[in-house]
Amino acid sequence: MAYDTALLVGVMFTVATYLILQKNFIRILFGFIIFTNAGNLFLLSISGAPRHRRMPILEEGRPVSDYVDPLPQALVLTAIVIGLGLTVYLIMLLYRVILDSKTIDTEKLFQPEEGDE
Amino acid sequence: MNNLVIAPFALPLATALLCLFAGRVAVWRRWVVGTSAFVQLLVAVVLVFQVVGQTPLVVVMGGWTAPLGVALVVDGLAGLMLCLSALVAFVCILFSYLELQVEDEQPMRLPLMQLLGAGINLTFITGDLFNLFVAFEIMLVASYALLTLEANDRHIKEAFPYLTVNMFASSIFLMTAGLAYAVFGTLNLAQISERAAAMEGEFSVLLVMLLLMVVFGIKAGVFPLYYWLPNSYPILPYSLAALYCGMLTKVGVYVLLRMLCTVFPHSLERVHIVLALLAGATMVMAALGAISRNFIRGILSFQHVSQIGYMILAIGLFTPMAITACVFYVIHHIIVKSSLFLMGGIAYFRSGTDYLERMGGLWKISPLLGCLFLLQAFSLSGIPPLSGFWGKYIVISESLDKGYFWLASAALLASLLTMVSMMKIWLKAYWSKAHEEQGPTVSPNAIRGMTLIAAVMVFFSLCIGLNAEFFLNIAQTAANGLMDQSIYRESVLQTLGKGGNP
Repeated sequence: MAYDTALLVGVMFTVATYLILQKNFIRILFGFIIFTNAGNLFLLSISGAPRHRRMPILEEGRPVSDYVDPLPQALVLTAIVIGLGLTVYLIMLLYRVILDSKTIDTEKLFQPEEGDE
Repeated sequence: MNNLVIAPFALPLATALLCLFAGRVAVWRRWVVGTSAFVQLLVAVVLVFQVVGQTPLVVVMGGWTAPLGVALVVDGLAGLMLCLSALVAFVCILFSYLELQVEDEQPMRLPLMQLLGAGINLTFITGDLFNLFVAFEIMLVASYALLTLEANDRHIKEAFPYLTVNMFASSIFLMTAGLAYAVFGTLNLAQISERAAAMEGEFSVLLVMLLLMVVFGIKAGVFPLYYWLPNSYPILPYSLAALYCGMLTKVGVYVLLRMLCTVFPHSLERVHIVLALLAGATMVMAALGAISRNFIRGILSFQHVSQIGYMILAIGLFTPMAITACVFYVIHHIIVKSSLFLMGGIAYFRSGTDYLERMGGLWKISPLLGCLFLLQAFSLSGIPPLSGFWGKYIVISESLDKGYFWLASAALLASLLTMVSMMKIWLKAYWSKAHEEQGPTVSPNAIRGMTLIAAVMVFFSLCIGLNAEFFLNIAQTAANGLMDQSIYRESVLQTLGKGGNP
């Protein structure tokens, strides 16, 4: 479990970093979505392999090590919600930037225009 | 009585919600928010008197013990920061009332300002790493929304770097919180400090702290990653820019102080040296950037980053005296910087423009404003006996004591460059001849009110400069509470041990 999750998180980070370093900001947006999700997956992997373990509902006479650690899962729920909100906000911001500047190229976007001081 | 600890978070949140449901903008809404901001200030003052020089106040939310419950802790530094944030928020809210007529005000502006305040205050009082993340997100989401709320079509693109850099930092913070849980088995700061002390010297502790340093370095605007800040703050209206510069980046400085002094072992010297070097670069690079700008908000924003360098340098030196200087510098800087932004706002409203080329003659129109501006400009660049001098003096003498001659000269150079950029504003906006097309854009009464607000802030800053010993003593008490980890740890763990019932 640890190795395959680590591999997946690693691949996701690589892809996300590649996308974030692009000029096209639609790609940057997708880079961020993957980046946040890689972060969430990393956080989830902290609770350990679920194999042979039970859901965290306490029963009499069972050792604590039999259960999956519920805290990272609670954390990741919060993180997913925050990430969703931010992604929606980023999409709306980029939509407005596209409407205003008629470009999706960050290099063109930040070139000084006529009348800039 | 301890339940007062939650008030700095709950009050602004409740006010924000109330305003959201109130719908249209109206005069009564301004009264509600103004009163609430004033009450927040009173609460913060009461809290300060309860905690400075005494044991921290601890409340565990819902009575759950750690690691399930979230502890809220107000110690000396947190109390001071709460007080300053309430003061700056109150002043900025009053200023924003004068800035705009009621009918021109964006209906979302006041609720978002309150939400921002709630997030800032929660980062000061929280005693839990994940809760810190949530508080940061509340603060950042409110700040993203305020940044774009009133931005025009040409400026809106500047919000994009702000958003991406901060989202990147937030993601790293989230992962660091997860990593800290994996390493220490808890998210409670007091328990982390206990376990980190037991694991002293292990690589994992250093790794967690390094990641935290990257995250809060970005948020505070430290050298390689500060570029999002001086370009995005100028698109804000003046009252909001004062609030952002006063509080938002200080949150980064505060968390760095908290983590390095209270939570992690003091032996992480590699982190300290990296911080000190980055601080030196921040000071000089940003001060050069300030000279390159030609409009007031741009100059002030770059100077702001440069001043952050002094605080980070003080943290990097990591002697008890340097930490005292850092706390003192934070107090001084919050007041001076926000008052400078407010004065920039007055200059803007008097001449109808922000660009120095088209400003002029302000000295003749309003000598009082000129005097206030000069006082704060001198204070920011560190001329004795004004408030900026004392912090800078201690930071520089401590870095000389430690043998960092290059850093001391960088600090002196940055201070000189700050003076040069201040004089640029002074010469162009105040000293040169007035232009013809100039004209005030708000009513004379509003300008009088704004000048009064700025004068009160300047008065506070003069008090700090002339009563430096008193404020240094307070800063020292707060710094001692920070550096002595056992005080924080014991008072939190004691409350946790009792199942959250103090």
